[in-house]
Amino acid sequence: MVANAVQIRLSVNGESHDLEVEPRTLLVYALRDDIGLTGTNIGCDSSSCGACTVLVDGRSVKSCTMLAVQAEGAEITTIEGLAATSDGDGLHPMQQAFHEYHGLQCGYCTPGMILASVSLIDEYPDLDESGVREGLEGNLCRCTGYNNIVKAVLQVAGKEA
Amino acid sequence: MNATNLAATSVGSAPIRHDAADKVIGAARYPADAVPADALHAVVVFSNRPHARILTLDTSAARATPGVVAVFTAADVPVNEYGLTMFDQPVFVGPADTGRSSVAADISRWEADQIAMVVAETTEAARLGAAAIHSVWEDLPRVDDTDRALAVDAPLLHPENGLETNAYHHLNIRKGDIDRGWAEADVTIESTYEVPHQEHAFLQPEAGTSYIDDDGRVTVECTGQWIHEDRGQIAHALGLSDDEVRVIYLAIGGAFGGKEDMSIQIVLALAAKKLAEHGEHRPVHCRWSREESIVGHHKRHRGRINARLGATSDGIITALEAEVTLDSGGYNYTSNKVLGNAHLSVAGPYRVPNAVIHSQAVYTTTVPGGAFRGFGGPQGAFAIECQLNKLAAELDIDPAEIRRRNALHDGDIGITQSVLPQGVTATEVIDACVARSGWEAPLRPAAPFNPIASLPAETGAIRRGRGFAAGYKNVGFSFGFPERSEAEIHLHGDGDTPDRADLFHGGSDVGQGAHLAFRQIAADAVGLALEAVTGHFSDTATSGDSGSASASRLTFMAGNSILGAAEEADKAWRDGQRPAVGRFRYVPPPTEPLNPETGAGTPNFSYGYMATEAEVSVDTGTGHIRVDRIVSTHDVGKAINPALVRGQIEGAVVQAHGYTLSENLQLSEGHVTTPRLSSYLIPGIGDIPEVVDSVILELADPLGPYGARGMAEMPYITYAPAVIAAVHDATGVWFDSFPLTPAKVLAALG
Repeated sequence: MVANAVQIRLSVNGESHDLEVEPRTLLVYALRDDIGLTGTNIGCDSSSCGACTVLVDGRSVKSCTMLAVQAEGAEITTIEGLAATSDGDGLHPMQQAFHEYHGLQCGYCTPGMILASVSLIDEYPDLDESGVREGLEGNLCRCTGYNNIVKAVLQVAGKEA
Repeated sequence: MNATNLAATSVGSAPIRHDAADKVIGAARYPADAVPADALHAVVVFSNRPHARILTLDTSAARATPGVVAVFTAADVPVNEYGLTMFDQPVFVGPADTGRSSVAADISRWEADQIAMVVAETTEAARLGAAAIHSVWEDLPRVDDTDRALAVDAPLLHPENGLETNAYHHLNIRKGDIDRGWAEADVTIESTYEVPHQEHAFLQPEAGTSYIDDDGRVTVECTGQWIHEDRGQIAHALGLSDDEVRVIYLAIGGAFGGKEDMSIQIVLALAAKKLAEHGEHRPVHCRWSREESIVGHHKRHRGRINARLGATSDGIITALEAEVTLDSGGYNYTSNKVLGNAHLSVAGPYRVPNAVIHSQAVYTTTVPGGAFRGFGGPQGAFAIECQLNKLAAELDIDPAEIRRRNALHDGDIGITQSVLPQGVTATEVIDACVARSGWEAPLRPAAPFNPIASLPAETGAIRRGRGFAAGYKNVGFSFGFPERSEAEIHLHGDGDTPDRADLFHGGSDVGQGAHLAFRQIAADAVGLALEAVTGHFSDTATSGDSGSASASRLTFMAGNSILGAAEEADKAWRDGQRPAVGRFRYVPPPTEPLNPETGAGTPNFSYGYMATEAEVSVDTGTGHIRVDRIVSTHDVGKAINPALVRGQIEGAVVQAHGYTLSENLQLSEGHVTTPRLSSYLIPGIGDIPEVVDSVILELADPLGPYGARGMAEMPYITYAPAVIAAVHDATGVWFDSFPLTPAKVLAALG
């Protein structure tokens, strides 16, 4: 039942997926509904909350602001594939830090928050607390009050809060 | 049960929550992640009319829409009524009252009354079907606010209750001799406070899936705060027994009171049942958009409090009068309960010898008010704390000191003319907050504040100030509500002592980490390591009734039920039963409704106490406010898990920050006009207080498990009055309403 379908190939977490999508399909829906990667959450309809943040060629992108067809040719990393991008066989250091520093409660914002933080540190390895606050302004959390999130990100940046 | 002397190994420590591993890798299953491949997709259709009578509802074009499988309406609902504390809402609004409900079912009383559920092969087809529904309405006069609702010529919104007014629930207090109280007063503070709506904005919008399970039960997988209450309301509307319905909670992405009432649960259950009756055995999935969520569920009550406070020149309260009016919107939800809590909170944790208080809940044709963290406490506390801060300023008495002089102590008679539950620690939290914040020392300097980075800071425009507030919060639903919590523990092992335990509990983990706290309590109670206790949670097929995850009651109630179940399991173990099964139903001391005239009674069995100090910078050039520091001080009785307790404080503070400064729900002609997170502004990481200093006191509650008190609402309640006192300290202006948006602040500064 796909109208005006187009064929695209998306590379997600190192795997190639051939999909048939409508040109208007947002990346987040392609990831969740067509590929089944439901770790990327949907929290709003207005690009406000950041729950759907993924990495596109290593940079954080709200996957509700990008069409699936625009993501062709890029390497997409979702929360499910993040661990594999780091050394070692466990969690990515950012996942580990959110885990240890109680950087989550309900967990709904967590995948997007972690990926936004990974991208932030990658871009600004030397950032301090105010840099974390500025850099994560696009990701909303309603549970934690953000304090433990800041601590987790600073720990990964090598600056214990 | 008093378990303060039990050995505590897990309790009091801060292990990593067991659900965190799944949450950091994206494996946690929220309802929208758990859609079976063969599921049908459903859309709920709102009336979109604040007040109107439906004349005709034509679903033929919707049913003929390609992909649409079925359309369900009022005609399909066996008992077309629901509600958490009273059945005053139709499941679906539909033409002609068919006599299957106690409330007229052909009238929409708010814009999100539901008129149909369209079930289709895809969400898109369901939406096309929904758009093809044709309805004809007779608009009725809107009742946009409580002023209109209380006017003599206002239409009666719920005539079925037999009242001549839209003010349908009243509480009174007549204590002491109010005339003497005023005669003894040297000063009088009189104000009218307006408190705003607040949207919960849990990050996970409502979603769920319904199906008939292998045992033939109508089953709904969803999120919520009380599986057994959800089951009861579904069963009632569907004309089924409780045993024929099953409710399971998957991972819950926040609730805060906003998932205490029904949203999609009943209509999802109805759809699965009806489809099955017609031989269609496919699950039905429904997920609300953010806009549907904000329009479609209740809010923290807006309201008005007329308050008058009399005191001696030493600052001792002699008289208190208050008139509390809460806007219930179109339906009660939990308004009667919320009103009760506001009613008690408006006197604060203070000795008030003479009082006259009247509180009322009023129907309008706007979004319903209902449960939201604090549950009436923030509204009441805002009034009394602002009154006390104005009194302190008037008399030039230190705001903390004026609270000490009036604070309740153990053995005191409270506002409801009964002795307060043992363990009154109002003075202790005030003293602790004063000590930690350096309240008696000069205000500390703060970092420069430049709210608009692109503009140069205006020299001399920044004013700083600080404020203080204190309060208390009860545990549970109060006023004679039959509180209970059930737990079941199975002990396994071949040796002399168990090596493993299963814990079955219905309590809802809405994100706060309750299930970890339950396991910690169980581990200590059965003498096992935390890892040896497996939890089986939030499924009516396996759990007893735990009561709600709300009203600061869950750890208190569930903890006591787990301790009881552990004791029973231990007995069974010693009797040789394998696995040894212990079941326990904890029932706290009874409470009672207040006397309708005097308010006399014993409404609660436990309270927690708190105090907040706030420091702010106000840019008088732009109206922006920065909260420089919050010292949030709480007697939690016992921190079962200190990291989770701290998380509750930090999270509640930031929610209250939004309530106080930025969250500004707008209504126009009965419609919510800020239904997105782009227009309804919850705090982002750049907006929060610079420093949140959480101070945790552990002064045991005699009844609490390990001495624990309910705590997750307390940090919220004193935030707004403390910040508003700090803004007054900075600017000399009292704000009797909020949120303090820059425009509002600028206008007041003149």
